[in-house]
Amino acid sequence: MDALTLTDEPRGAASGVEGQRPRITARRPDRQGSRLDALLRAQVRARRNDLALAAAAAVVAGAAGVCLLALSGWFVTAAGLAGLTGAVLGFNYLLPSTAIRLAALSRTVGRYGERLAGHAAALRALGRVRAALFIGVASAPAAEALQLSTGEGCARLIDDVDALQTQFVRRPARWGVAAALAAGLALAGLAGWPSALMLAALAAVQILCGRLAARSLARRWGEEIQSASGRLKDACAALLAAAPEIAAYGLQDWAAEKAADNSRALGEARMAMRRAEGWQACASTALSGAGAALVLLCAHGAPLPIAFLAALAALGGLEACAAAAREAQDEPACRAARQRLEPWIGSSLPTPRAAKPQGIWLKGKGTEITLVPGDRLVITGRSGCGKTSLLERLLELRERPRGEAEIGGVDLSRLAQGEGRGQFAYAPQSPTLLAGTVRENLLLGDPCAADTQMWAALADAALEARIAAYPAGLDADIGEAGAWLSGGERKRLSLARAYLRHSPWLVLDEPTEGLDRATEAAVVARLDQRLRTGGQGLLLVSHRPAPRTLCSRELPLD
Amino acid sequence: MLSTSSIDLPPPAPRGRAWLAAVGRPFSPQGRSAAASTVLDSVAAIGFAAGIALALGRLSHGWMAAAPWALLAVASAAVRGVLARAAIGFAARQAAEVKRSVRRRVFTAALAREGREPGSLGSALALAVDGVEALEGWYLRYAPARAAAVVSPLIIIAAMAVASPLCALIVAATFAPFIMAMALAGGAAAREARRQFDAMSRLSGRFADRLRALPAILAFDGAGRIGEELQVASEELAERTLKVLRIAFVSSASLEFFAAISVALVAVYCGFGLLGLLPFRPPERLDLVRAIFVLVLAPEAYLPMRRLAQAYHERETAEAAAEAVRPVAEELPRAPVRAVLIRPPAVRFEEVGVVYPGAEAAVLDGFSFDVEPGEFVALVGPSGSGKTTALRLALGLIPPSIGRVTLDGAAPVPGAVAWVGQSPVVTPGSLADNIRLARMDASDADVALAAASAGLPTSVLDRPIDERGGGLSGGERRRLALARAFLAQASLVLLDEPTADLDATSEAEAMQAIVRLARGRTTLIATHSAAVAAMADRIVRLAA
Repeated sequence: MDALTLTDEPRGAASGVEGQRPRITARRPDRQGSRLDALLRAQVRARRNDLALAAAAAVVAGAAGVCLLALSGWFVTAAGLAGLTGAVLGFNYLLPSTAIRLAALSRTVGRYGERLAGHAAALRALGRVRAALFIGVASAPAAEALQLSTGEGCARLIDDVDALQTQFVRRPARWGVAAALAAGLALAGLAGWPSALMLAALAAVQILCGRLAARSLARRWGEEIQSASGRLKDACAALLAAAPEIAAYGLQDWAAEKAADNSRALGEARMAMRRAEGWQACASTALSGAGAALVLLCAHGAPLPIAFLAALAALGGLEACAAAAREAQDEPACRAARQRLEPWIGSSLPTPRAAKPQGIWLKGKGTEITLVPGDRLVITGRSGCGKTSLLERLLELRERPRGEAEIGGVDLSRLAQGEGRGQFAYAPQSPTLLAGTVRENLLLGDPCAADTQMWAALADAALEARIAAYPAGLDADIGEAGAWLSGGERKRLSLARAYLRHSPWLVLDEPTEGLDRATEAAVVARLDQRLRTGGQGLLLVSHRPAPRTLCSRELPLD
Repeated sequence: MLSTSSIDLPPPAPRGRAWLAAVGRPFSPQGRSAAASTVLDSVAAIGFAAGIALALGRLSHGWMAAAPWALLAVASAAVRGVLARAAIGFAARQAAEVKRSVRRRVFTAALAREGREPGSLGSALALAVDGVEALEGWYLRYAPARAAAVVSPLIIIAAMAVASPLCALIVAATFAPFIMAMALAGGAAAREARRQFDAMSRLSGRFADRLRALPAILAFDGAGRIGEELQVASEELAERTLKVLRIAFVSSASLEFFAAISVALVAVYCGFGLLGLLPFRPPERLDLVRAIFVLVLAPEAYLPMRRLAQAYHERETAEAAAEAVRPVAEELPRAPVRAVLIRPPAVRFEEVGVVYPGAEAAVLDGFSFDVEPGEFVALVGPSGSGKTTALRLALGLIPPSIGRVTLDGAAPVPGAVAWVGQSPVVTPGSLADNIRLARMDASDADVALAAASAGLPTSVLDRPIDERGGGLSGGERRRLALARAFLAQASLVLLDEPTADLDATSEAEAMQAIVRLARGRTTLIATHSAAVAAMADRIVRLAA
């Protein structure tokens, strides 16, 4: 029956999944039910070969690093004593010297393997996570989703995913630290249990205190920096918005000084964080050095070479622990990133359905209009009266109030998510293009379009000659957001994209704005022909007289 | 993006680097101190190695003999800690100074740009705040590490040479193939790696782009398809990237390798030397203390290079940011001019047109009209018809792309006119302080008079205003802008929709002030309000 589903429920409940969606505001996801965690766990399982390889390599590298230095120390000291006492003949020098070279080689190979396998796991895993996120965002209610499609929100999301990726790459490193510490403890143990115990205690201090300090530091100053940077942005935005006034009264220097002053708080917060980081580096460096000396003291009963071996093993182990502690600095940011990503994971998209032509009912200022498929309507009114907003509500790119419009006899507010969109092919006033080729953009209109159809649509949008002039033709790259096209060309590409979509209604917002008269006349004539042959209806917003001649009906909004 | 803390990838184009060095130069004392602290760390490392070696050597003479040297080792470790703290402190200070000075310049340029091409606010903000902030890592980590990478290995090798020239030679010799390996990696393979590194950042770039294009994707029901495409593209790009990383990571592996092998060679040489089992006659006499000293020092020779490698990511981020910030920071803003117009001027627009950068069509195409001295003209028309552009032309903020705008026959310069917009700039302080921005040397009486003319009673002049303009109602904000225009003693007044979004009462009050302001001045007002336009001597309609 109807392509549209009728529901009496409020929209949130109607579309199931989305009803349970937590809002963007940081709601702590409970441990059990975190969908992001589940997704990541699945990716960890899927990438377990890469991750296991990386962990094994990290273990080899960590242990070999500690062994290299400790064994070298032992060998040199033992050799020195043997040389002094003349016990050279009984000294087994082959085994240790081979072990030293082996350790040097294993450390190199281990590090290489760790990095490569870690990156392999991360790069392969995150493709899936990005796709899941994108679907999650796309299936959110328009108001929430579109908030993310510009500026801050988008940058945030990208950074958050990158933070996840970094975390993934670093995953195997903890095995390396554990191995380095284990090797350190084993070697220190050769000098007696007090040495091993001392190293264990120092390592615990290094890791626990280090992590605690790094984390609280990052939390405290991270927040401070965030809010200082927000205040700076507000202050700069207010000043920039008053640019003409500032120029009129010759206040440029005053304004620049004011902006610089506002950046002082940010600078201070960052300095304070660096200072604290510096003290942390100071403490961990000193602890490693002093730790080696303390282990040496504990080993005073052991033979000299073994005592030295223990000290160097302690040094290596403690340095590895310091590196692990430093990474805790990123933890608060990572946790925040995961919390922000959580709400977007796990939703699924409503399946788009083929659209049967539906009639449309619209309410204007003191008047209303009912359209049957094939009608051509121009929506009029002075600028700012809400023409574009009305179109965006039809396309479900905005919250939809009750009683403003109906599609197929159903009020917009009662349509399920995504249900009405199939009715429309939309070319907005300021078009959004995909970074990529002309073809990729046109395929959005019709994923199955043949080249001839694409060229025909481009011709109807008066863009054929321009695209044909590219050596790559349809496969020409148009840059990010169509940056390599002019404003008018971007608009016409968006028009061609709308032409390709098989929808009952063509929705065009200022389609000929910025075109010269001759091109405009050509575009309008071809649009007329397209509407005639295809039987599509037209909803038009335009200030220009030429496209308005196409329309037989008018809806004034003011 | 990724935490590729490595030297695996060749440096980006050096332009960003040269500029970063240049803007850091005025604050080079801090930079030099940071570099010096990093280099001195190697000297402390020598102290540590000497302390350990001598303590071990004297241990056979009893605890008391070893204790002073053990103390030296512990003290050296503490000094290394303090030096690490000092290096960060100095470098952070330099970074803070650089950021402040660059931000000031970027902001001045952004201010001029915002006047010329309104609407660039978002990108200007990103540049002035986040872009400038991203420069920090270069001064904080990269610059000191780079300075130390050249000097520190030499210091360490020299110290080793004092104890054992042959060991110093061994370590120095490992540097030769290391440098050769780096040079080999720096050629065509490096360019390939760079290209792939860019591809890697395209992984998130593509994701970002599809998010940005979400309105279009939703409107075309394309989310499912684009989501799948995103996954396929990501996976494909991941495989290609990994192929290259396999080769790219070799250069960091070569650093690891030579660092490890230099330790191993020194240990084996010393061990065999002390045993007297070397297959040749060494040109030096080794003893245990010397051997331990060079052994502990051997890893320190490569430490500066490893630090430099770890600063790679910071450098990459900072130099990319520098590429974006530099062109803006280097724009030379016109020095503010304060011209004085004695009498109300005549304003002439002769066949004027303005094409904003990136736009195809002109705003105000061949627009001409004259304003008589002292006349009050209202500009009306739909948005996008060029009302604000016309005002900015008369202010001298933007030059016309074609045609000519003159005030009494001369080109307009900013500073000769009063401007009343919708959101006047506010600064923390009293309302009187805020009015005075229009003429800093104005007396209290002048300020009070201007305030009264704009409909602000004397009683509110001391009211404190905060950073965001809290303490002012919407209507009072507009009257603040009007009071500034009265105070400025300008004989040309430009008003940009001064009553938009005001309720009827506030609009009526503002209109009375505008009529007073227009008396004896040449006045141009852009407005959507029919009531405001009706007050003018003449109405000029602009077509879309």
